[in-house]
Amino acid sequence: MPPTDILTSEGLAIGHGDRVIMSGIDFRLAAGRILAIVGPSGCGKSTLMRSLSGLDEPLGGRASLLGLDLAAATTEQRAATLRRLGFLFQGSALFSSLTLRENVELPMREFLRAPRRDLRALAEYKLALVGLADAMDKLPSEISGGMAKRAGIARAMALDPEVIFLDEPSAGLDPMTSGRLDELILKLREAFGTTVVLVSHEVPSILRIADFCVYLDPDAGRMGAYGPPRGFLSPDAHPKAHAFFSQARIP
Amino acid sequence: MSQAPANPPRARTEVQADGCVFILLAGDWKLDSATPEIAFKGDRVVLSTEGLGSFDSSLPAWIHRHFRHVRQLDLSGLPPRLRALVQLAEKATSSEEPAAPAGLLEQFGGWGLSSSSSWARAFEHIGETASGLGRLLIGRARVNWQDFWLQLQTAGVDALPIVALLGFLTGLIMAYVGLIQLRQVGATIYVANLVSLAMTREMGALMTGVIACGRTATSFASQLGSMNVSQETDALRVLGLNPVEYLGVPRILAVTLMVPLLAVFATFVGVFGGMIVACAGDLSVSQYLTQVIVAISLKSFLVGVIKSVAFGFIAAWAGCYRGSVAKPSALGVGEAATTAAVLGITLIVISDALFAVIFNLFNF
Repeated sequence: MPPTDILTSEGLAIGHGDRVIMSGIDFRLAAGRILAIVGPSGCGKSTLMRSLSGLDEPLGGRASLLGLDLAAATTEQRAATLRRLGFLFQGSALFSSLTLRENVELPMREFLRAPRRDLRALAEYKLALVGLADAMDKLPSEISGGMAKRAGIARAMALDPEVIFLDEPSAGLDPMTSGRLDELILKLREAFGTTVVLVSHEVPSILRIADFCVYLDPDAGRMGAYGPPRGFLSPDAHPKAHAFFSQARIP
Repeated sequence: MSQAPANPPRARTEVQADGCVFILLAGDWKLDSATPEIAFKGDRVVLSTEGLGSFDSSLPAWIHRHFRHVRQLDLSGLPPRLRALVQLAEKATSSEEPAAPAGLLEQFGGWGLSSSSSWARAFEHIGETASGLGRLLIGRARVNWQDFWLQLQTAGVDALPIVALLGFLTGLIMAYVGLIQLRQVGATIYVANLVSLAMTREMGALMTGVIACGRTATSFASQLGSMNVSQETDALRVLGLNPVEYLGVPRILAVTLMVPLLAVFATFVGVFGGMIVACAGDLSVSQYLTQVIVAISLKSFLVGVIKSVAFGFIAAWAGCYRGSVAKPSALGVGEAATTAAVLGITLIVISDALFAVIFNLFNF
């Protein structure tokens, strides 16, 4: 049986307000795959991710996530689907007045009916998964950027999401930390079978972890190419996507 | 009421003769279900599944909670995916035991240390403010003058309506209470003396100081606290600018200048409020105004102005100080605003009492 498509985009148009910045976005993503959205700065990568996750409404076309048509969905349906997703924001968006444990426990307390001790154990486990077992009682202001990203991933994984969206998970991190984060994403995908959609500029990281890649072409205002990232290294690939991957690739 | 799961999660413990503990896991393990509690002793644990149904991360989380400190944990009897989920957390976890919670004596010591460092920081801030004002006098301070002009507007002119309302009502209430009491001894004429003297020497300055704490000190604490959170104050430091001098001094200066003007305004409005009540009662406008002129001396006026200068300084300093030591979080900024108002009002009332003693000593 072929794997189910968990995320599909058909002629999707995205933008800010009424202004379309990118259109013609077409792809299908099967469950358990990792999709990277790439393109030059300001081309609408994060906006596309917000539209695909149901946080923002697309300006045209169709997007379907976990079987829900996002354009036709009601607010309740959208909220119910959002609960099945995990989201790591670019700045981690940890609640600054809560400890890391409390940050991870927050969605559990809101949506799970299990006893408090179980929620606590779950939060500790999720933080241990990302290597933050020793920093659970720290506030976000007391940890490094890399730790904040990992804590953000632990919170995104809190409710065992089916799809996790990561907005520039490696941005601002050194290559070692970035590499460890890539390993973590791969391990989490392997262990939980989670589908991952990420926005990234880091070509080595994309080549290491992504199964598929969407390249957004800001000059054309359309999706430039879609396919396995290694395919973009070929001279036959979309010229701008090829240039993007070739220039950024470590020799 | 939540429905009980058809196949609830279960864990059975069997202790072997050699002390090895077998844990048999069964049932469906869901995030929403309550997990079983187990008690065991021993350093060797073997985990096994017996009729294990579906599971999510609640099962590895349960295993992590109960067995992370076990010396020999055998996971070979677990399905590969479950084993991977447990090992993923184990690899990243340190083997250190959690620190014991602090005892009562330790907590008391911690409180003592933190409060002494808080006092030290407050005195340091006073010193930096004084140094900044001193440098300003000799023309060597680096001050954000844009902030100064902005605060003259926001802390001064924008506060006129609330100062007018509260000043008017204060004068009105004092005159009303005074009129009732003085009527009993046939001395209603002295309502004018009561209201004008109280407003000039005491209430005008005090009310304005309290309003400055509620409006301006909280605003300063939030502004500077937010700047702390976004590392803007650190950015000033690396530019070689002292944040207390650059941000605090113009704010303190603006409020210290504006509060006396607002206090004088509040005094006039309060006296006017008193006049409304007095004239509605037994006095004429000319009687009231004549008594006011007799009652208020230059000395009384100066007392009010001196107090209001001090109260303005205190309100602004409290806001700047609490903002500068705000914890870098949303809660920390909120706390800074609250404590700024509390600190400012407390210091104003204490200093008002000290002023009363000092002015009395010097027969002022």
